[in-house]
Amino acid sequence: MTETVYVQLLDLTCGALLLTAVLILWRRDLSVIVRVFALQGAALTALVAVLAAHERSGELWVIAAGVLALRAGLLPYLLRRTLAAAGEPQREARPLVNVAASLLAAAVLTFLAHAVSRPLVTLAPSPAAQAIPIAVTVVLIGFFVLVTRRHAVSQVVGFLLMDNGITALGLLTTTGVGLVVEVGVSLDVLLAVLVLQILAVRIRETFGDTDLDDLRELRD
Amino acid sequence: MTALGLAGAVVQPVLIVAGAPVLVGVMRQVRARLEGRAGPGIRQPWRDLRKLFGKERIAPRGTSEVFRVAPLVLVATTLVITVVAPFVTVASVLNPVADLFVVVALLAVGAVALALAGLDTGTAFGGMGASREVTILALVEPTLLVAILALSARVGSTNLGDVVSSMVREPSRVISPVSLLAAVALVIATVAENGRIPVDNPSTHLELTMVHEAMVLEYAGPDLALVELASAMRLSVFLGLLANLFVPWGIATTATPAALLAGVLALVLKVGVLGAALAAAEVFLAKLRLFRVPELLAGSFLLSLLAVAASYFLA
Amino acid sequence: MNPAQVTFGAAVALALATAVAAIVVPRRVVVGAGTALTGAAGLAAGVAAVSGHSFSLVLPGLLPLSGVSFTLDALGGLFVAVTGGVAVAAGVYATSYGKASAVLPMFVLAMLLVPAAASVGTLLVCWELMALFSLLLVIGENRSRAEVTSAGRWYAVMTHLGFVSILCGLMVFAAHAPADSFAALREARLSPAVSATVFVLTLAGFASKAGIVPLHAWLPRAHPEAPSHVSALMSAAMVNLGVYGLVRVGFDLLGGGPRWWWLLVLALGALSAVHGILQAAMSTDLKRLLGQSTTENMGLVLVGVGAAGLFTASGNPVLAGLATAAALLHVVNHAAFKTLLFLAAGAVLHGTGTRDLDALGGLRRTMPVTTALFGVGALAASALPPGTAFVSEWLLLQALVHGLPPSGVDTAIALPVAVAAVALTAGLAVVTFVKAFGVGFLAKPRSEAAANAREVPYGMRAGMAIAALGCVVLALLPSLVLPAVAGGATTGLVTLRLTGVTGSLSPLLLTLWLVVAVVVVAAGVRGVVARRTRRDARLWDCGGGPMSARMEYTATSFAEPLQRVFDDVVQPELDVHVTHHEESRYLVRAVEFRRSVPDRVERRLYAPVLAATRAWGRAGRSLATGSVHRYLGYGFYTLCAALLLLAVTR
Repeated sequence: MTETVYVQLLDLTCGALLLTAVLILWRRDLSVIVRVFALQGAALTALVAVLAAHERSGELWVIAAGVLALRAGLLPYLLRRTLAAAGEPQREARPLVNVAASLLAAAVLTFLAHAVSRPLVTLAPSPAAQAIPIAVTVVLIGFFVLVTRRHAVSQVVGFLLMDNGITALGLLTTTGVGLVVEVGVSLDVLLAVLVLQILAVRIRETFGDTDLDDLRELRD
Repeated sequence: MTALGLAGAVVQPVLIVAGAPVLVGVMRQVRARLEGRAGPGIRQPWRDLRKLFGKERIAPRGTSEVFRVAPLVLVATTLVITVVAPFVTVASVLNPVADLFVVVALLAVGAVALALAGLDTGTAFGGMGASREVTILALVEPTLLVAILALSARVGSTNLGDVVSSMVREPSRVISPVSLLAAVALVIATVAENGRIPVDNPSTHLELTMVHEAMVLEYAGPDLALVELASAMRLSVFLGLLANLFVPWGIATTATPAALLAGVLALVLKVGVLGAALAAAEVFLAKLRLFRVPELLAGSFLLSLLAVAASYFLA
Repeated sequence: MNPAQVTFGAAVALALATAVAAIVVPRRVVVGAGTALTGAAGLAAGVAAVSGHSFSLVLPGLLPLSGVSFTLDALGGLFVAVTGGVAVAAGVYATSYGKASAVLPMFVLAMLLVPAAASVGTLLVCWELMALFSLLLVIGENRSRAEVTSAGRWYAVMTHLGFVSILCGLMVFAAHAPADSFAALREARLSPAVSATVFVLTLAGFASKAGIVPLHAWLPRAHPEAPSHVSALMSAAMVNLGVYGLVRVGFDLLGGGPRWWWLLVLALGALSAVHGILQAAMSTDLKRLLGQSTTENMGLVLVGVGAAGLFTASGNPVLAGLATAAALLHVVNHAAFKTLLFLAAGAVLHGTGTRDLDALGGLRRTMPVTTALFGVGALAASALPPGTAFVSEWLLLQALVHGLPPSGVDTAIALPVAVAAVALTAGLAVVTFVKAFGVGFLAKPRSEAAANAREVPYGMRAGMAIAALGCVVLALLPSLVLPAVAGGATTGLVTLRLTGVTGSLSPLLLTLWLVVAVVVVAAGVRGVVARRTRRDARLWDCGGGPMSARMEYTATSFAEPLQRVFDDVVQPELDVHVTHHEESRYLVRAVEFRRSVPDRVERRLYAPVLAATRAWGRAGRSLATGSVHRYLGYGFYTLCAALLLLAVTR
């Protein structure tokens, strides 16, 4: 793989990562959000694969396979099942911050991410390091989704978005965090999602809805 | 003023005036086929125009010169763009006017003329259409200008000819994140400015959802023909600019007949494909509620801002 | 004697003579003609100064301690010329409008003197005179109306707070310099902390004069309540002097500064531009709308000034020149179209007695000249070609676009945001002026007053025509004034070419081609159609009988979609009141709908301050018991405390 092709592929996969994050913010339909999240898993896989091909590292190829299986396969499947169990199609009807404002907030977050990751980029100006701001943006957008969405499933997606961003960040900064760490993190995430899924099902069985704002009533 | 620019100034307006209604015909035909109808054929818009031009001119009671002049201004602004902007040839007969900001502003002048005409009628429909049209116009403006910033910052010029020829020289820019993000943003802006689904439905006549059609409700005969022709031309202009800004291949860079012919064919092909794709996409989309449109435009604005960020930070 | 000095002296003499004459013979013609002549002399002096004939004048005995000194250089000359030009149009207009007031020429004179002041003392005196004369004019004519007195109070308080801010800033500055003349200030070496203090204090004062958010609250109150020619003078000439002060202190006296100053200016400008035009887009009062649009335009100017400072700080003089040119050209353009628009709004008020857009409409038949002239102004103000503001906004966008590639991170974030703000402003300006022109002048009259409107007298028409001529000339040949503002940032007479960066624009050719295209299309249609005469026809009324004016879209309904889009930003107050028939609750008799869009910045920022002041006032009342001895005692104790403090600290 020549250098220019590598850079272009890297930019494109990072662009796809960012675009899917934005789309998750943009759409209200939960099934669409889950589908876009699966797409993001695929984009992350492509990113890892590009890095693996460039570094010629077997370890990275294994990580790529793991990412594909977990983030484009298993996690979206689990989320879809949670949605399917709920029956009728669900929507993020009234997010705490309306969609237009969320998108503008995402613009601000992008600039923030660029501003804070500037020192990291200048530290080691490689093509992979150039894409660090995008990974930071994905983390921030994930956090934003976690904060502003009401529905349990979209909150889980926000959490996973953050995790995708952190994985991409790790890969881009060190070009590989080590297989053991990656496997450990992935298992953690899987566990978290399973627990959240069970919680979501329980909440729904008790309250008939998975709007997390209703949980506030439990406090008293 | 070069020979190439002069050739463009003659070929482009003729091609776009003649071809714009055909483009609309193609789009309607694609849509009809996908919906399982036979469709009226791609020459139907021209037949409509011929019929309308043959009718009597009408002066609705209480309207003024503004109402009468608006269709002329609408066509004239679009015509000036077809003369100066790079559609078939890179060079422009009037370089100081072939500026991206000027083109955007000229298109806005046309929209404003029509909005004033809508208000001039003093009917509820006219006011409603004008109000909605200028609201959408105001919200599209940031997307357009920031996308322009993303495209022109790397070229160092907002001149359309410069931007397009730099794309021709360096094809690697075409698949960069900057171009892709800006392209998506500009496609959404194009859809909004031309009143296509999901922002507006050009074939609706339901009061609650009309935008463009409500504004032009009082026009009849030759005036209506002008308005229809102008909307078709604006659509072709937008699609032609999109095509040449992001896929400039085939545009004539020399003033030979062969190059010009290739330029014409490339433009027809690119705009035809884009139009057909747009029409096909419209089959699967529903019109958005008017107050959901800002969400769409905020999204396209975000994409154009990301394009600027990418143009600076990935450079 | 150089020509600038002669004409400037003539302007001063004419203004004083007019004021005296107006007291002796209180006729409108006298005041109007005198003001117009003063303005013409000022215009000539400004043009002479800009073209290189600067002069200095020191009058040591006129003021105690520092004396009075004037210097008219190119920068000051530009603002003198703009003020003079506005005064010509307003003066001609005043020959048949408003009351004959001796204050009018004095107000013009004070505005002419401010840019010529060459020492801190002189500037402050002229500034205060300008504020006082304008205040007198605002409350002079309709002082019995509650709105006018309220506007006057707001204006008086805010303009004086601004004055205090400028006073403190310049005093700190002068304390660190050998003398208070500008020449001495230029030589002063200030520590960064002191120069930042000076800059922020003067910025606050000058920004409040220019109506910049968040110090704009007085502007949409005072400008509409003044008589219209005074509104024009205030909105087109006086606000510019805030920009003048900022440029003079920031660039000339302090010699530029760190990037954060100019990022602050840029941010304030962008905020003002968007906030001002958003308020204007929701407004239904024609003159209030114009006042809010002034905030918008001054915001755009500040975006240019801020960008210029930013480019200077990052060592890019070419782009700094371009941004300065954009800002100053916008000052000139804004002066031209805002004069025209305010004068036309005055004509509407004169002809119909109302300035409520919801009650206007249909003026094109009864007031054709005013309608056409307002149309010219609206085109200019909406930043569309072939209008004046388009050229300056194009220059501004060019500066911002070319500034992106080699800049730092802060600039890379600030410039796209600024472009977006300018773009949103341009879009909303289109909405605002389509509303003002389309709803106010076209369509059917919505009230008795609008239906019975009368065209205004010739003097007023002439005033408007002069301003319109200025707009047209500036729109077609901005190159006539660009050398004065740009200092070589652009070249070319018909086609403007940017120096140092690529970019060219030809407003004249663009207009020419548009006209040709309209003619070609019109000729083409005439050739194609079968019958040329138009048949009179009914409007489409859905078969429900003739449409009445009550069915039209009003300014309120026109802005409704926009208000819903920006619901979270502007937070309008809606009030729906339904009354039912007495027989049955299910039958509605009337629905009353009221919407007001209060200024959110004002509500959030000013209301707490005003409430706190009121509380302080109440608390302070217990100190004032009415005993004279007690009052004298306060003075005595304070004096002793001050002396004690002095004794302890020394």
